[in-house]
Amino acid sequence: MSDSFTAVSGRKVVSQKSAEELGDVAHIVIDVKRRKVASLIVGKGRKALVLDWDQVSGLGPDAVMVADESALHAPRDDHENAAADGKLELIGKRALNDVGNDLGELSDVRFDPKTGIIESLVLGEREEAAASLLGAGSYAAIFQTSAQ
Amino acid sequence: MRMLATGSAIRGLPVVTIGGGEDVAEVRDVIYDPQAGRVLGLTLNKRGFLAGRSREVLPAEQIHAIGQDAVMVQDEGSLILPHDAPADVGEPPSGRDVTGDEVLTEQGTSLGKVRDVVVLLGSNGEVVGYEIDAASGGTGYIPLPTQLAVSGSTLIVPEATKDFVEKDLVGLGAAVDDFRSRLGPS
Repeated sequence: MSDSFTAVSGRKVVSQKSAEELGDVAHIVIDVKRRKVASLIVGKGRKALVLDWDQVSGLGPDAVMVADESALHAPRDDHENAAADGKLELIGKRALNDVGNDLGELSDVRFDPKTGIIESLVLGEREEAAASLLGAGSYAAIFQTSAQ
Repeated sequence: MRMLATGSAIRGLPVVTIGGGEDVAEVRDVIYDPQAGRVLGLTLNKRGFLAGRSREVLPAEQIHAIGQDAVMVQDEGSLILPHDAPADVGEPPSGRDVTGDEVLTEQGTSLGKVRDVVVLLGSNGEVVGYEIDAASGGTGYIPLPTQLAVSGSTLIVPEATKDFVEKDLVGLGAAVDDFRSRLGPS
């Protein structure tokens, strides 16, 4: 069963220990090289916290479970700050191929909720294999030309 | 079918890193060598609100591809300071501007005046033709052979160019290979 970024976005994050809601998933950050989910950003603005993928105890259909609130931490470097600000948000990001032609906007990313491994990226009507993703940053996501 | 763009369409394109997905600069102008018939590099503007001229340049060898919507480079290291760039790019010699030059065929027919260069998209700066103010009126597009004679103010093109004055870039894209094959290997 695969899950998707648009579906996970807004899902509540709950502590298994206290049963408290710690916030909602605002953004999902990926590791492009490993083509895997790297972290979830929980909450928005100054209160945004980073939940690293290896701290997720369970990603269920209704909630993201963590052991306790210590699983979340404040952004620690430029990359995490940019992620917390939503600058690395993939959904809605411009997609370009590696020869500089526009491919439209990224509308969703499908991934395995057990492993965090990205399966495919949705560009409007088309779906591209994760392997064709070359890079992603604040400006665009870059795809291999053969993906066209 | 080749995809083409004029120099003015390339100006203002973002320069984007393939590995990072960041827009690291914006094209200010093309550095064109009429003798070589190719773009040697690009001068740059900074991106963002305080956009202004960037000191860095982008030599053609560092360009992965010039596309319709962006100029792609491997990473930020592709942008270099002029003194680290090849001399032609770091300090382009003056007198290279072909804009306004008359285009004459070998037998002495004037086809018009050069307005802009036409670049092959997907390449790192191959110039395949010129946009001209056609002698017959309006805008025309002519293909270029791989070698041609240029002086400061006049450009001599093969006689056959007369038959290949196109009305648009789509026409030129279709004509370039045909034109070059008619001229034979250069």
